[in-house]
Amino acid sequence: MKEIRYILGGPQGGGLETSSQVLSWAFAREGYNVMSDREYFSNIKGRHSYVHATILSENDTPALAYPVNVLGAMDAETVFTHSYDVAEGGYMIYNRDESQVKVVSVASMEDEYKEILMKKFSESGISGTIESVADYLARERKINIIGLSYRELLGELQKSVNVIAAQASRYVSSILIGAVAALTGLNESSLDYALQRRFKSGEVYEHNLAFSKIVIKQVKGSISLDKPIMGGGKRLVVSGNDAVAMAKVVGGLRFQSYYPITPAADESFTLEEYERIGGGSDSIVVFQAEDEIGAIAAAIGSSLTGARSASATSGPGFDLMTEGLGWAGINEVPVVVTYYQRGGPSTGQPTRGGQSDLLSAVFASHGEYPRIVIASGDHEEAFWDTIDALNFADMFQTPVIHLVDKFLANTIASMPVPQVSNAKIGRGKLVATNLEHYKRFDYSSSISPRAFLGNYVMWYTGDEHNETGHITEESKNRVMMMKKRMSKINDIEAGIPESRRYSLYGEEKPDIVLLGWGFVKGSALRAIRDLKVEGIKASYLHIRSFIPFPKEIITKIFREYGADRIIDVEHNYEGQTGFLVAMNTGNMVKRRILKYTGRPIYSNELAVAVKRIISGSTEEVLDLGS
Amino acid sequence: MALKHASPNDFRSSVWNDWCPGCGNFGIVAAMYQMLAELNVDPEKTVIVSGIGCSGKTAHFINAEGVHTLHGRSLPFAEGIKLSNPELNVIVNVGDGDLLGIGAGHFVAMGRRNMDITVLMHDNTVYALTKGQAAPTLKRGEQTKSLPRPNMQDAINPIGLALASGYTFIARSYSSRIKHLKEIIRQAIEHRGSAFVDVLQPCVTFDDIHTYDYYNKRVYDIQENGWDPLAKNEQEAVQKATQALVKSYSMDERIPIGVFYRNISVPTFDERLNERLPYYIKNPPAKQPIEKDGNAIIDQEIFENTFSDFITEIVR
Repeated sequence: MKEIRYILGGPQGGGLETSSQVLSWAFAREGYNVMSDREYFSNIKGRHSYVHATILSENDTPALAYPVNVLGAMDAETVFTHSYDVAEGGYMIYNRDESQVKVVSVASMEDEYKEILMKKFSESGISGTIESVADYLARERKINIIGLSYRELLGELQKSVNVIAAQASRYVSSILIGAVAALTGLNESSLDYALQRRFKSGEVYEHNLAFSKIVIKQVKGSISLDKPIMGGGKRLVVSGNDAVAMAKVVGGLRFQSYYPITPAADESFTLEEYERIGGGSDSIVVFQAEDEIGAIAAAIGSSLTGARSASATSGPGFDLMTEGLGWAGINEVPVVVTYYQRGGPSTGQPTRGGQSDLLSAVFASHGEYPRIVIASGDHEEAFWDTIDALNFADMFQTPVIHLVDKFLANTIASMPVPQVSNAKIGRGKLVATNLEHYKRFDYSSSISPRAFLGNYVMWYTGDEHNETGHITEESKNRVMMMKKRMSKINDIEAGIPESRRYSLYGEEKPDIVLLGWGFVKGSALRAIRDLKVEGIKASYLHIRSFIPFPKEIITKIFREYGADRIIDVEHNYEGQTGFLVAMNTGNMVKRRILKYTGRPIYSNELAVAVKRIISGSTEEVLDLGS
Repeated sequence: MALKHASPNDFRSSVWNDWCPGCGNFGIVAAMYQMLAELNVDPEKTVIVSGIGCSGKTAHFINAEGVHTLHGRSLPFAEGIKLSNPELNVIVNVGDGDLLGIGAGHFVAMGRRNMDITVLMHDNTVYALTKGQAAPTLKRGEQTKSLPRPNMQDAINPIGLALASGYTFIARSYSSRIKHLKEIIRQAIEHRGSAFVDVLQPCVTFDDIHTYDYYNKRVYDIQENGWDPLAKNEQEAVQKATQALVKSYSMDERIPIGVFYRNISVPTFDERLNERLPYYIKNPPAKQPIEKDGNAIIDQEIFENTFSDFITEIVR
């Protein structure tokens, strides 16, 4: 097989994230491409969380899809929750000691889901115990069931490395590492390497290594995963949060303020960890503010002194930032907000993903001011877009909102190591030296040369102001200043070329064009390949910038293919891109594939939905995934 | 560059001052002109940050860097400025409604950091620029001129809140005792750490209770009464803060002004940062070059060394 997919599930806080990291490292080291999504509740310990990964032997971005080839269950809830997710001929690893546990008795499972499952089970003739599920899967779906006694395995571990029972029980999640390694034939040296990476040396590393060997011996079966195409070189293995943080370091960020919020906060932690740049005398100040209002205000204040400044947040935090963004707008302050979207409104789905904040970003804050809104579709794009965001902010002296989402934030992926010589830094128009009679808002040009606090006496105010930055309510000045500021929209249009605003993939003369952005990318690219095999020619237009908008290409595809052959694919209810297409090009989106469960769009459900649209449906709403 | 012989007039900007005639704010800005001249500060290294309301305009009236921010948010703006360029002398002029109403969370947070910033609170008990609503410093039952009914909410004790939040210089002055106020401002600026000054300031248009007459009869200088506010270590800090708190509750017949509390044993935020980032004060964010001929400062080697935890070599 060119690729395998697995789900590893267990209680939140039980070590799954670690297992996922170890496996990602091990596969990446062998040259596979990895995409490992993490789905979890807003909970610290106990609720069901799982890792859903694709390991690809080809040199391409893996897509998330169902069904999976391996289901590794730490607990009974995982078996019940994902019993229909495994492909025929696939494997399920579960704890034999829990064979008699019934779905009704799983306290952590939500009642709504229990009801759905029990109905499904009764239709399939499953009595409701783990054993009955396993029997059904073996009999009806030809799934290889590997029931291991986790108690016995842990007992063996205890004997071999001399740990007490309470300590040994911490290694349950490592059983899944061993199981996946055994089934895929992962090299022992790769596993050893990955464990070392995660745990350095020491007891925990040694125990894990010993345990994986114990488990590997017990797991019978194999999946023939093709050898990877890539045979050498270096790879980066990162979460989206990490990729953005690294890019901020490269891009010259010197100040990051934040207030804790899922799923943005990890980015600031990574920045803080690497605050001393290259161990030298340069450093980034990472400032935990008292709220997001304070975070954006501090970032703006910092930017006035000349330091590249940014904040990272998600929906509820961004809402609080909007008044501050307006201040940055009227005062022409470069500032970047990395916006990790999750399910809204309000607290919504704090640990789930979404793309429902597009219009909120595009229209944020009262009054009118220019801003830039760009969006990233995968880890590599997120890296380079972060540097672009910092440059755009300086070049156009205005806020830049960089849209990413929870899917990207928490997904671990392999990507090429960025060639930092490709990272260009443009600080825009700066005052050279000792300028007499400096006017910060000189309206002889739309973008006035910038000086920093500490160099020249100047004034800033949230009120409408004159060229020196003092308040004035005079009408002609208002017109001049509005024109100066707002005409930066033209500078942005001219300065960020159409080709920077989108990417087009797939067939040159397609039957159908998918229109999407953000994390839709991975699944869309995979879906158009799968559709091609079925004789459907599709292309994918990936929007990378909403302000400025890719007007020309979208106008062109509407003219060439017509609205009936264009499908908007998004993680929201309203198909928000459609509004912006109409606003910017006058074309109306007529076909939509939408998902707002908070789980990513999977390539297989997308391909099915595209076929339904081709057969006449106008809107498909997706809901695959637990 | 600092002027050779600065006079108060050098710190007066060209903007016409549009406060109501007789406004208590005039005393505050006059004291500031005098003190900035006496300290002979460099106008380019001095940043006046303000919020919204009458006091917010202060930034425009002073010939130094001026940042007139949002309602309630002057402190985090000031903190961002200070954090990225700690050599700047940052002074915040902010109203009582702005600081202790909408911005109270920021006020508390800055105390915890002991950021080296001076906060001058223009305390006039009303929201003047919106025509005299009750500010958080107006006592329950009081009915200033434009209130349709007596105030139903209790007044905050600003000195008490500053003590509880961790400010290390806490004082009160009165806008018409310019000499006293000037001296307090000097001490606040010279103090290393978060300094808070509650400046009593009559609003001649909307507050017919807290008039010049009202304050003239009541204020007295606690230093003249022998109060030594200085805490040199943690033990003294608790003692001094407790006694200062007791003094701060006296707000009726006799109103204490002067320095309530000064603690020199708490590290400032830039010192805390410098512990972690040893070059921070010498080489703060605002002073670091971030590009070389349009390229990133970081080369491939530094990148790969820095982020080696994220990089793997493919080994087959």
